[in-house]
This record gives sequence, structure tokens and C-alpha cells, in this order.
Amino acid sequence: MKAVVQPTETVTRMRPKARWRKRIQELLTATPFLVPSLFLFVLFFFYPLGKTIYLSFYLTNAKGVAKHYVGGSQYGELFTSADFLNSLWTTVVFVFLTVVPGILLALLLALLVEKPLRGMAFFRTLIVSPVTVSVATASTIGLLLFNPSISILTHGLSFFGVQDIAWLTDPFWAMIAVSLVTIWLGVGFHTILLLGGLQAIPTELLESATIDGAGYGKRLRHVVLPLLSPTLFFVLVVSVIGAFQSFGQINILTQGGPSRSTHVLVYSIYRDAFFNFQFGSASAQAIVLFVILLLLTILQFTVVERKVHYQ
Amino acid sequence: MKKVLLSGLLALTLGATTVLAGCSNSEEATTNENGVIEITLWHAMGGGPGKGLDAIVQAFNDSHDKIKVNSVYQGSYDDEFNKYKTAEGSDTAPAIMQVYDIGTRFMIDSEATVPVQKFVDADKYDMSDFEPNILNYYKMDGQLYSLPFNSSNPILYFNKTAFQEAGLDPNKPPKTWAEVEEYAQKLTKKGADGKPERYGMSMAIYGWFFEQYMANQGGLYANNGNGRKERATEAVFNKTEGTKFLDWWKKGVDAGYMGNFGRKTADTQAAFSAGKTAMFIDSTAVLRGLVDGAKDKFEVGTAELPKTEGAAGGVIIGGGSMWIMKDQPDAKQKAAWEFIKFVAEPKTQATWHTATGYFPIRTKAYEVQELKDFDAKYPQFQTAVSQLHNTKLTEATSGAVIGVFPEARATVETAIEDVLLGKKTTQQSLDDASKKVTDAIGKYNQLYKK
Repeated sequence: MKAVVQPTETVTRMRPKARWRKRIQELLTATPFLVPSLFLFVLFFFYPLGKTIYLSFYLTNAKGVAKHYVGGSQYGELFTSADFLNSLWTTVVFVFLTVVPGILLALLLALLVEKPLRGMAFFRTLIVSPVTVSVATASTIGLLLFNPSISILTHGLSFFGVQDIAWLTDPFWAMIAVSLVTIWLGVGFHTILLLGGLQAIPTELLESATIDGAGYGKRLRHVVLPLLSPTLFFVLVVSVIGAFQSFGQINILTQGGPSRSTHVLVYSIYRDAFFNFQFGSASAQAIVLFVILLLLTILQFTVVERKVHYQ
Repeated sequence: MKKVLLSGLLALTLGATTVLAGCSNSEEATTNENGVIEITLWHAMGGGPGKGLDAIVQAFNDSHDKIKVNSVYQGSYDDEFNKYKTAEGSDTAPAIMQVYDIGTRFMIDSEATVPVQKFVDADKYDMSDFEPNILNYYKMDGQLYSLPFNSSNPILYFNKTAFQEAGLDPNKPPKTWAEVEEYAQKLTKKGADGKPERYGMSMAIYGWFFEQYMANQGGLYANNGNGRKERATEAVFNKTEGTKFLDWWKKGVDAGYMGNFGRKTADTQAAFSAGKTAMFIDSTAVLRGLVDGAKDKFEVGTAELPKTEGAAGGVIIGGGSMWIMKDQPDAKQKAAWEFIKFVAEPKTQATWHTATGYFPIRTKAYEVQELKDFDAKYPQFQTAVSQLHNTKLTEATSGAVIGVFPEARATVETAIEDVLLGKKTTQQSLDDASKKVTDAIGKYNQLYKK
């Protein structure tokens, strides 16, 4: 943040005319450097965004061509539709169920494998390995694990006296199943990030805390976690956005069911656009998702970031 | 200077190759260097049926030296649709698409196809021995839009060995809903923990079964004669036929003699093969796989779809048909017609039937020796055929034609889940679903109605 503020401070101290000249000069120097990324942004971000907004005001045919202007009625329909409100709620539940346990698990694993013990590289590799698994693969494995009649997971649990769980046919367990796969998929990447954060903590600080008589718990709470907070914050932002955009595991495992219990927003957009061929309604939902993510990210950067300790 | 020269050269080569590529493309559009017309077939047949179809394509290519068909499996029917939208008009676009029954209205409205009637008329193609019930599905306003290929209907599968175990006669499968109930209770086996180890009966939460049971009772799915007299404007499946069926289903699930293995039919099939359900309902198309899968474990029996008391009976033809695409040059369209005719030949249909369980679309196929031998060995395969012939053609058994059928089917599936999970009453659930489908039909008609 500070690095950006400084030049403007120097600019404000100058006379107005010189200030303008300097600004234009800066802009002229910056432009050629910005053009390539601006071009990509316009092509892959602003143009699709504009098109999505445009489509959300139309009924489209199956090819996605706008045919019939309907104004904002598709937005109105969304907020009166029980299905859409259910999708919103489901998304919130899903984000909560995946982000919080996901980060806690990754933190736990990172703390476990952080110690420079013999053979730790093996365990690190093992724990981080889900990074290499694609969503489709993980979900297909999930399908076998959660299969209603030939599930290995249910069979394994039966030794602990757990009765048959209807993983994908019961609304409650379907959500758990999808969340489990999502957490497993993300845990490797999150662990790498947190491990990096942990290793960047200067050992002097920990040593001096130990000399001061702080036990493991105190060191963790007062030294490690505050210094890790920038990484934790980054992981939070990334995994919230990731959870909102989860699609593959839901499409493969549950198709949003049973009884729409896992019908999250992105899946709803997919169904409307590529199954029901209503690109207009899907676009309206995409805009709603965009606004939600934007608000959430702003919220995270204004409220949560205040708690973050940068060195 | 050097640089300018170099870049000029580069641009020139690029331009030249593009032009050349363009040339070769336009030539390739009809025939390749050997005068062979290459066409592409897109289909949605995976697993066993996929292999069966590939064998048909191979046989066609071997017997036709001027046409080469490349078959491409595109995943589910829905995936196939989506991919077509991006490929239409390009070099990779198919000349033939195999599309499911409920995609009929949509395919017509897409205006991307040529009705096969055009080729039938031009060729004076003899269709006198085609099954009228099947043809009827793909005929609209007296015009045949696509040629049926893989036709099926739902039947009751049962585990004969389990029947004997429960003291039931394996040669007398249940005929009515009441009998299914009675048999299923006897067939249900509970473990020590009181949870069923084997259900008596199961049905996947598949909208097709609901459509079949509507037709079986003579109920309509959509207004205007199921959308066949005139474009449908309303979904009407929330009548007694619908609620009665769901009530029967829910009763079984609640009482614990009917299993719920979710939406995927493959999961219910797996449950049957693993002995976790003694009876279930599914398309005849999976018969071959089930019989092979159960080979050493138990004997598979088949029976006609059980009826409710007083129902007229009968089924809708399910499956798919072959469409010829409009964006293709005439020569390719003709080649596509040649292939489709080959697929409809009695011999091809007989091979297809034995490889999968889909039944032949024409009666001449029954005269093929291969089929006679096969059906003598596996009498289970005749159930679907006799069910087809016993079906009286009505508006209900002709099947509904609506443009938003895939969406309607998914909506009904959610409605069934809502009922089975006790979230809504049957009436409420079907009312909500039919309202949703009516809305979707309304939007669709706004776009496509002329």
C-alpha cells in the first residue's frame, strides 16, 4: 500500500502546472508498459463482462444469440425465485464448510511438517501431493468412495460401527461429501503456501521467545500466527474465491442434487446456460456472483486486513 | 534492414501457408484425393453400445469404398448438443448426429437439420416394415425428421435367484403395482442392524421413468395432445396419474422395501449386480451388460413394466435417432443418407439388438438368423419387443414433444427427490414442477414460435 502512496505525496508538494506535466509524462512512460496487459484485460475480462451484462437483459436462443429484450426482468425473477435463493444459501454453506476446515487443516499439516526432521521431505511431498490431482480425477475417485452400493468408505467405516451413510442420496451427506472432496483438493496448495510462510519466520524471534520462557502454545499464538497472518490472509482470500467458483466436483458428484441441496451458484449458472440454453438468465446470475465476490473481496481487504501484521 | 527483410519473409510464408491451407480445405469439403467422401458422425453411445456402434461404422466403411464415416463419441447427449453449437458450419462439424428422442422438438427448431423425409421421398425408400410406433415418435406434421436408430423402452429387471430364495416363482414376475409391493416386501432382506441388506425393488430418480408411467396410465405430459397437435404451451403432469405414481414410490421408500440409489441409473444397475436390490426398472438397452455382469452370480429375468390397476398400459419409445445436418454440402448429405440407410438395414439392426438390447426398428430384422438364434438363447430380450408391439398408439404413448424437455426432465427429477425426501407433498411438488416447466415452455415459445 505505502509504495503506491509515496509518489502522489511528492506530486502534491509541487506547483499545479508542474504537477500536471509530471503526471502526463509519467502516464506516457507507463502506457507502453501497460498496453500488453491492458489488451489482455480488455480481451479476456472487460469484453466478456460487458457481453455478460448485455446478455442478462435478453432472452437468448440456444446458440446464445440475444433475441428478445426483456429489460431487468431476469434479475427480478432471480430474487423472487426460491431456487435461486436456495442456490445462494447453499453457496454460503458450501463456502463456510470448505474454507474454514480447509484452512485449519492446512495450518495443522503445515505446522506438523515444518520441523526440519529426518525424512520430513517425504511427508511433505505426501501431504502436498493432492496439488497434482485435477478436479475431475478427484471427483471420479469420490464417486467410487461414495458409491451407494459398492462404497469402500462405507465398508471401512462399518468396522467402526458406523452404519451405512447415504453419501450422495441424502441432502446433508451430499453436501459433506462434496465439501470433503473440495477440501482434499485444496489442502495441498494451501499447505505449500502456509509452509512457505512458516519458514519465512525468522528463527531469532522464536528463539528469543523461548528464552523468555514462552511454551509452544504461547509462541504459536503470539509469534507464529501474527507473523503468518499475511499468508493466512492470502490463503483466505484465494480459498473463498475458489470455493465460490467450485464447479467440477459438484457436476460430477451430485449434479446439484439431491433435491438441489448442492446446487451452488456456479452450478446453477452452468445449468441455465449449457443445459437449459437460457444464457440471459445465466448471465444475470453471473453478474450477481461477480458483485458478491467483489463485495466480499473489498470487505476482506478493508476489515480483515486490519488484523494482518506485515513486517 | 536485415530485420525488415526477415519479418517480410516471415509474413509472406505465413500468408502463403494460410492461402494454401484454405485451398486444400475447400477441396476437402467434398472428397479427398482418392475421391472418397469423408463424413463425421457424432453420437452419445458410451460403453457397450459405443462398441456396438463402432462395429457398425467399421462394417459400413469396409463395404463402401467411396464413403468414409468417422464416428466421434461426444459424451452425453447434452454435451453433444453444446459441442455442436460451437462446431456448426466449421470443418469439424458432423454430417450426422445421433440425438435422443426428447431432443426432437429442439432439433427441428434449431433449423440446423434436413428432414430425412426429403431423402426418403427422393429415394422412394421403402419403409413399410418399419415399426409404426417408433416412426410415429419422430414424425411431426406428417414429416419424418430423423431416422430412428436405437430404440428402447423400460422393463422390469429381476433377480431370479433371489426370487427362489424368497419362495417366489421366478417365472411369475409381478404384473401390477400391488404385486410389486407384495413381492418387494418378501424380497427385502434386513441385516442385524435392521437396515436393509437387499431391497426388494428400486428405481433410479430418472425423469424418463416418470414420463413412462404417465403414458402407461394414459396421462399427458404437456397440453395440446402432448405437443403433437399443436405446439405445447403448458406442462400438465401434475394430475392424478403423476401423483398416484409418486405416492406409490414414496410409500415403498418410506416402508423400506424400495431402495433409493440416487439419480444415476448406473448406480441402481450396480446395486442390482451387487445383489443390493432384487428388482429394478431400467431401459432395455442395458440388458446385455446386466446379463453378462450377473453371469456367474444369478439369473436375470425381465418382465413388462408393471401397471397400476385399471391402467391402459403401454410405453413411450425411448432412445435416439439419426439427423442429417443442413450446413453440409449436398454430396456429404447424400453420403450421410447412405450411412443412415445402412444402419437401418435388417442385418445391422439385428447385430445392434444382440450387442445391446435396443430393439430392431423394423420387423424384417426378426427374420435374420443371427437374431433368431440369439433370442432363443436369451429369451429376456423379447420382453421389450413384445411390450412395444402391445403398446396401443395414443397421444399419451406417442410421447411429449417440447423444446425444453431436458430441463423439464431435470425439474421432475428434483420434484421426485423433494417427495422422496419428504420436503413436499406429491401434489405440491408436481404443481411447482409443472409451473416451472410451463414458464420454461413459455420462454422457449417466445423465441421459436412462428
